[in-house]
Amino acid sequence: MSNAENLLQNNQLADQSRQQRLSQLLARPDIWQAANEHKRQRGGIASGYATLDALLAGRGWPRGATTELLVDRSGIGEISLLLPALAELTQREQMVVLVNPPFIPYAPALAAAGIQLEKLLILHPRGQKDELWAMEQSLQSGCCGALLSWQGSRAPADKDLRRLQLAAREGDCLHFHFRPQSTATAPSPASLRLSLSSDGEQLAVQLLKQLGGQSGQRLHLSRNTDLTRRDRPLH
Amino acid sequence: MLWLCIQFPKLPLEVLTRAQRDGAQSSPQAVVEEQLIVDANNPAAERSVETGLTIATACALCADLQLLQRDTQREEQQLQQLAQWGYSFTPVVSPLAAGSVDAGDDHFACLYLELSGCLKANGGLQPLLQQLKRELRQMRISCFMGLGHSPSTARMLSQLPEHRQWLAETQAPPSPQQWKQWISFSPSKLLDCDHKTIAKLYACGIKRVSQLLAIPLSEVGSRFGRGFVDYLARLSGTRHDPVPSYQPPPEFHSELFFPSPLDNSEQLLFPTGRLVRELCQQLQRRQLYSHQLRWKLDFGQRGCKVFSVEVSRPMLDPQRLIALTKLQLERIRLEQPIQALSLTCDQLLPLEQNKLDDDLFGRETRVQRSHQLLDKLKARLGHEALSGVTLKESYLPEQAWASADTLVLQSSRSKKGHQLQPIKAPRPTWLLPRPDKLQSRAHKLFYRGEIKLLQGPERIDGYWWQHGRHGRDYYLARGEEGGLYWVFQDLTSEDWYLHGVYG
Repeated sequence: MSNAENLLQNNQLADQSRQQRLSQLLARPDIWQAANEHKRQRGGIASGYATLDALLAGRGWPRGATTELLVDRSGIGEISLLLPALAELTQREQMVVLVNPPFIPYAPALAAAGIQLEKLLILHPRGQKDELWAMEQSLQSGCCGALLSWQGSRAPADKDLRRLQLAAREGDCLHFHFRPQSTATAPSPASLRLSLSSDGEQLAVQLLKQLGGQSGQRLHLSRNTDLTRRDRPLH
Repeated sequence: MLWLCIQFPKLPLEVLTRAQRDGAQSSPQAVVEEQLIVDANNPAAERSVETGLTIATACALCADLQLLQRDTQREEQQLQQLAQWGYSFTPVVSPLAAGSVDAGDDHFACLYLELSGCLKANGGLQPLLQQLKRELRQMRISCFMGLGHSPSTARMLSQLPEHRQWLAETQAPPSPQQWKQWISFSPSKLLDCDHKTIAKLYACGIKRVSQLLAIPLSEVGSRFGRGFVDYLARLSGTRHDPVPSYQPPPEFHSELFFPSPLDNSEQLLFPTGRLVRELCQQLQRRQLYSHQLRWKLDFGQRGCKVFSVEVSRPMLDPQRLIALTKLQLERIRLEQPIQALSLTCDQLLPLEQNKLDDDLFGRETRVQRSHQLLDKLKARLGHEALSGVTLKESYLPEQAWASADTLVLQSSRSKKGHQLQPIKAPRPTWLLPRPDKLQSRAHKLFYRGEIKLLQGPERIDGYWWQHGRHGRDYYLARGEEGGLYWVFQDLTSEDWYLHGVYG
C-alpha cells in the first residue's frame, strides 16, 4: 500500500472516531442543542400533574438526574407531589429507595396511592459516609427506579452532590433530594431544582433551575380535595 | 466395575507431622499406641525401629527417638478429608479406617474408588492414576494402590508387588483373564483374614491362592468356616462385594492457620479469597449453594470474632463473594492479631436449575441486580439499616403497618392468599414514631404556630377489652404555614397529640 493511500485511510478513520466522539457528546442529557429542541421529547417520568409536566423540559421528572426539592417544613404536600410517579415506577417492578426519611412512611397511605409496598426499601445508614455510599450504590445499580434522600444535619459537599448526579445518570435512576430552603442560593449540580412552599391552601412550586429548559416559573398545585375540604363545625 | 484401592501405610505418622517442614524430619520420630510402636519415620527406620516393637526396645535401639501419641481422631478426620478429595474424582467412594493395635488387626487405612465411570472425563486410566498420585504427594501423604474388579480384590492386589509394578506402567484396565492370573498367583498371606487362618493355610501347605482355589469349596468351608468361603467368592467375583458408600457432609468448613499472626485486615484479603475459592470449587462440583458464609477470626488465647455474609440468591462466583466479605471486613476493627481464619457454611442446599444467578452469557436481569444491591447494602450497613413496610390488619393506626424483612421485598408478588386492602379514609404519608403531645391554650392548639381543625372527628376506639384502652378522636388540621397534620384527642386524658403529617 502506498503512503498516500495509508494517509487517506488514516484520515478517514480519524474522521470516523471524531464523529463518534461528537455524537457521544451530543447524546449527553446535560448538553442542550437549540437545533434539536423538537427531538428532545425524550421521556421524563410523568409526574402525574399535567401543569407541572408542561413546565418541565422532558415533559416529566428528568430521568437519570438529580432533582432537588427545597422544603423547609414537611406537611405541605411534598410527598404527594412525587407519589404518582413513584406508584408508576413500583408498578413497573422497579425499586424505590428512601434514604433516611424524617418520619415513618405510613404503609396504608402509600398503598392507597398505588405504591407496591414490596418494592419499597427504606435505608437508615449510620453516618454521612455510609449514607453517601449507600446512595451512590443504589443509584448506580440500575435496578432502582427512584431514590429519595433527605439531607441530614450536615450538608453534603459539592463534589458528593456531583458524584450522586453522575451515579443517577449511570443507573438511569430518578434521584429526589430534599434540602432546606436555605441552600437555594448555593450552587448545585442538580438538573432540576424546585422550591416548594405553601401559600396557605395550595402547594406553591417555583422552578429555580432547569437544565435544558426555562426556569423561574411559579406554579400552584391544589392539594387533594379530600384533605382540604372543611367540615361544618359540630359546635 | 473397576475398583481402585489406595492404602495409606504411614497415615498415623503423617497426620501428626504433615505440617512440619522437610528439615524437621531428620530427627527420628515414632508413633506409639498401647506401649507399642505403630509407625516410624525414615531416620528411625534406618536405626531399625519398626512397627510392633515395645517402647523400651525402640528407645534402646535409638536413644534420641521422639515418641508421638497416636491420634486416631485426627486420622479419622484426615481420612474423611481424603474421601472428600476422592469424591471430586468419582461419586462412588468408600473410606475404611485403620485397625487398632489392641484388636490385633493391623491393616492400614484405605480408600476405595470406583473408576469405571470417570476414566473418560479424566483422560484415561494412566493420567488419572498419575493425577491421584501427584495430588497425594502434594498433600504429603504416602500411598500405594491396587486395581481390582471388586474392593476385596483391589485391596489384596495392592499388596502384590508385581501388580503394583504393572499398575505403574499400564495404559488400559486389565482383562478378566489377567485378574484371575494375579489372584491365583498371590501368596495366601495377602488374604484378608486373621493370623490364625493364615497360619492354618500355611500348615496345610497352601502357599498360593491358586492352590486354595483348586480345593472344592465345600471342603474349604468345612475347614475354614463359611465366612472364609464367602470372602473367596467375593474375591473371585462370583458374589457381590458391598462397601459402605461415602456421602460428603452437607456443610463446608475450612481453616487457615497463620504461623505469624496478622494484625491488619488488608492482609486478610488473600487468605479470604483462597477460602472462598475453595468453597466455590466444592460447591460447583457438588451443585450446591449456601445462603450464609460464616467467618471466624481466631485470636488464639484472646477469643475470637465471628461475622457472617448473607447471600440472598444462589451465587457461585468467587469474585462477588469476596467483594461482599471485603465490605464486612472493612467494618471490623482488629484489636488483636489474628492467628487463624476459618470459613464455615452450615447449610448447603441443592442448586436447582434456572435458580443460578448468571445465565450462559453472563447477562444480568434487573431482579439479579437488585439482589446484588441488597446483599451489598446488607454487608456494609448491617441488617438493621434495611427495612421495608407492609400493611397489617388493625384498627389502631400505629399497628396498621409493619416493618417488613427485606427478603419479603424481593419475592415476586404472590396473588394467592388474602390481600390486605388499605383503609379508604385519607391517611397521612408520614407517621410519627410516637404521638407528639400538642400544646393547647384557651381552646387553641399549637404546633409550630396555631393549628386549626379542618375535618373530624373520626373515632378510633380499639382494644377497649384490653388493659390499655385506645380511645381517640382523630382530626385533620392545618398549621399556620399550610401544613396538613393528623391530630387526635385522647378520650380518657383529653390531651391532644400529633400523630401524622400529610407530606
